[in-house]
Amino acid sequence: MTLSHVVRGVDHAAFPTFAPKETIHFYRDVLGFPVVHATCALGWGPAQHPDFIHFFFDIGQGDRLAFFYYFGVEPYRDGAVPELIARARHLALHVETEDDLLEYRRRLDASDWPCELQVRHETVESVYVTDPNGYLIEFARPLRAITREDDIDADLSVDALLAVADEERPSLERFYQIKAELIAERYAEEPARVSLV
Amino acid sequence: MTVLYVLDIDDFRPLAVAAAADPAVTVGRRGPYLEVSAAGPIAIDRAATGCRNAIWYSSVAAVRGGRIARWDRDGMLIEPVDSGE
Repeated sequence: MTLSHVVRGVDHAAFPTFAPKETIHFYRDVLGFPVVHATCALGWGPAQHPDFIHFFFDIGQGDRLAFFYYFGVEPYRDGAVPELIARARHLALHVETEDDLLEYRRRLDASDWPCELQVRHETVESVYVTDPNGYLIEFARPLRAITREDDIDADLSVDALLAVADEERPSLERFYQIKAELIAERYAEEPARVSLV
Repeated sequence: MTVLYVLDIDDFRPLAVAAAADPAVTVGRRGPYLEVSAAGPIAIDRAATGCRNAIWYSSVAAVRGGRIARWDRDGMLIEPVDSGE
């Protein structure tokens, strides 16, 4: 049975901030993201942090990036989070064109938070910056369209990942083997020889 | 038999073309994949593919009957293994 797929993107992604001033400056004044909503709650939160402001920036298409600022709470930063984890957790914002990507890079480079890395990945080109809260933010523009072939391949990859994750010592080498078996199974007919000349 | 699968799209097709420079290599198609096969090893010269970094390092879809013995900035070598089949 295929489950109906009716979600429509991101309503909002929310993060705590202990630097509201820098956060507002970065998102509103440097990047130009409009402030679109703010909930100011006196005594609404739990006893440890009853007063907070939950403020939202428009990140396009009605999607929003939100922050919580809690009054009277000591700033906290988890120094124990390994770099690998800190960099893997990130928010990637979509832009359509190279010009748009470079425009955000230009805004960053003219600020106190310059672009840290610009890289052409497989299907997107990205610009990275760490925001005033230490969160990794990416801007990404498509390098090519995602095709039906990509989707089929992704399906087989996650099936192979499910299988290899059950093994005692998962490895990419085993993943490639399992995926090859899945490909041969799914397309069992003898392969037609092709000419690539 | 050493078998390498790459997705048959513009990004990854050059790997199959480069591998096929060796007459011992044959290329077939399975669904959306190119199936690159050889009785012995499969060697691919990175320069012959023209692949930029991210494409090169994401080019392998799957490998059967072999293991990737080398995959660096200059090339890829897939060596046959006894799969016990």
